[in-house]
Amino acid sequence: MKIFSVIAAILITFFCFSFSLQQKKEYNNLYSSSVDDLNKELNLLASTIQHTDMSGSAGREEIRELIKDSRLKMKRLDFWFRYFEPNVYRKINGPIPVEWENEVFEKFEPPYKREGAGLSLAEKYLDKEKITRDSLNALILASVKALDTFRADSITQQLDAPDHFFLANRLYLLNLAALYTTGFECPDTNHIIPELRSMMKDVKEIYSAFGATFPSKPLSSSYLSLYDQAIAFVNRQPFNFSSFDHYSFLKDYVNPLFRMNQDFVRSYSVVTKNYNDYTLNNDCNSIFDKSLYSPQNSKGIFSLIEDKELLDEIRQVGKMLYYDPILSGNNSRSCASCHIPTEYFTDTTQATAFQFDHQGHLPRNTPSLINVVFHHLVMLDGKHISLQDQAREVVHSPQEMNSDEKELVQKVMSCRDYKNAFKKFLRYTPEEKDVSLNHIVSAITYYYSGYSYYEAPFDDAMNNKKEISTSAKKGFNLFMSKAQCATCHFVPIFNGVSPPYISSEFEVIGVPEDTNYTKLSPDKGRYLINPAPETMNAFRTNTVRNSAHTRPYMHNGVFQTLDQVIELYDAGGGTGKKLVVSNQTLSPDSLKLSPAEKADLIAFLKSLDEDIIFELPPSSLPLSGNKELNKRKIGGEY
Amino acid sequence: MEVNIKKLKRIYTISALIFCVVFFKCTSQKKTEYDIPSHVPPENRALLIERAEKGKVLYKLYCSGCHGIFTKGKDGIPNFTKVQIDNYHTAALIGLDPNNHAVAKKMSSQQIDYVITFLRLRKIN
Repeated sequence: MKIFSVIAAILITFFCFSFSLQQKKEYNNLYSSSVDDLNKELNLLASTIQHTDMSGSAGREEIRELIKDSRLKMKRLDFWFRYFEPNVYRKINGPIPVEWENEVFEKFEPPYKREGAGLSLAEKYLDKEKITRDSLNALILASVKALDTFRADSITQQLDAPDHFFLANRLYLLNLAALYTTGFECPDTNHIIPELRSMMKDVKEIYSAFGATFPSKPLSSSYLSLYDQAIAFVNRQPFNFSSFDHYSFLKDYVNPLFRMNQDFVRSYSVVTKNYNDYTLNNDCNSIFDKSLYSPQNSKGIFSLIEDKELLDEIRQVGKMLYYDPILSGNNSRSCASCHIPTEYFTDTTQATAFQFDHQGHLPRNTPSLINVVFHHLVMLDGKHISLQDQAREVVHSPQEMNSDEKELVQKVMSCRDYKNAFKKFLRYTPEEKDVSLNHIVSAITYYYSGYSYYEAPFDDAMNNKKEISTSAKKGFNLFMSKAQCATCHFVPIFNGVSPPYISSEFEVIGVPEDTNYTKLSPDKGRYLINPAPETMNAFRTNTVRNSAHTRPYMHNGVFQTLDQVIELYDAGGGTGKKLVVSNQTLSPDSLKLSPAEKADLIAFLKSLDEDIIFELPPSSLPLSGNKELNKRKIGGEY
Repeated sequence: MEVNIKKLKRIYTISALIFCVVFFKCTSQKKTEYDIPSHVPPENRALLIERAEKGKVLYKLYCSGCHGIFTKGKDGIPNFTKVQIDNYHTAALIGLDPNNHAVAKKMSSQQIDYVITFLRLRKIN
């Protein structure tokens, strides 16, 4: 009897143990079998390429079909791969051949060159006449090699704990909003929606396997049922991505799913060990909330201060300095001379601002300061890594404010109000012995950055607070599809920062020197900072928020109206307008937008005008001990 | 009587001197010495030391509560390895803090740089 019970106990323990092992394996098995499937498919593709006659269209068609099949297998793994090792994934699904990465992480070092390979590029090159069998095969073999990385222990062991799942899922949802429906990595636009359908169905399987393996941290039934509804919605939609209802998909499905997933991240105390999602904020409950990812540091030297009253005092001093021409060498030009606060912090009257000596113009248009905090690299060529660095340069620049640092600090400190304020602030920056230019520029950046947190009617619509016009909704759907805007201007800030929101992208679109398109603008752009063949004439993608108020447009302010801007894109950029642009990143084909479609696009852009509450300029400037300085005007003379 | 006053005066002077010496000993802290790598050009040495000194102030305020006290003479800062410092630097710069240091998350990248410069350059006895 005793022996029986011992044996029974052992058997039960063994059974339970093996059962739990079995369960654990379901999730891991799904991963490894999917990797095997893709590997098989890629090898089949590689050998077919070796043995197919590429000169005929029949051979190419066969390869195209195989690429299509492989892409579906790849999309099944996208959920994990993009989160685990996005740079290696670029060898399987690279959107362009060479990318210069400018990530938050890397901005303290020179930019890294990343070469893409894999299925998207192979498909793109298949139509090119001069593509050879070997170069096509090399792209596929690079993918096969990259796949090995995803079998490494360091990666697969992450599957043994549940934490990564909720973070990978968060990235998946953000990409559903920003990338998967726009054709970002899918050269054949006819495949975008079919691939989306297949992918969403596959992720449902991942959810089930996860639920079986990690029953202690489940996705809630309301999450799963909404996800099922999202699948049903996509299945009801037409195959053409231009008729797909991007607006409802985002508002009614993706954004609520994101909110629920954020709940899981918080309630399961999920901890990230990943170097790719560090800018994302666990406390943010909507993709269309400005707290989604961490912005530039606007406090600068005052970073450690948290006292609200003190911060407000710093803001007030920053505002005063912003309007004070004392910052310039001749005491006549202030920040507000060009970045006019009541005009969305820009100057709508000049293509490019006058130089300091009024003898000529600066090479670039004055950018609006609203939403600059959401760029990881500052300036159109990405020259600066912080707002404070940028402000320091403008103050010194002989063409802009032409100030001497020492003299400037003396002038500011000659005003009693500034002196008292900064002496007080100095106590909160114990590492600094004296008031310096750093204190001055940090107060200024803190002041103007406060205007970047207002929301637009479009955000309110996405958050179900307000309705926007049908025309604006149509415009958004075009923006995400046919007009190809969203492949560079990413949801939600509509700038060049894409999920997981750690990099700033640069593009070459071939902006002309004049409105007659006689020649390309000679500005070398990013090349001035990072000389490489791909960066010539490249500029950092700006946000389209508030664009109705921030004319003139483009880096050189060449266009006066949004219609002119849309015309450039509709024509296929500079190349489409018959200019010679060797490295244009925009497709040279016409978008074939109808006048009604263009009007819808503009209606959408206008729904991104933020409801900003502007303040009146200060009524007076602090008095200086130096009487000469007291002649200066509020906001300066331009 | 006069002798007594003289005696008292002497006692006062001596005790004042002793007090001064003790006070000085207690408040003066040995200056941190720095090891500047030989490849740093002479014109940048002062600049580096200035940054390290700023880092020292920040370290004292925000880190030494747990990681080493400053007393007279020697400081008690742990001898972090180069790898530890490098990893911490990277994580802190991007706002991903592996050690749950709320203060490192709040610091500007420049302030983090000061603290790291201090830790990298201070001479370890």
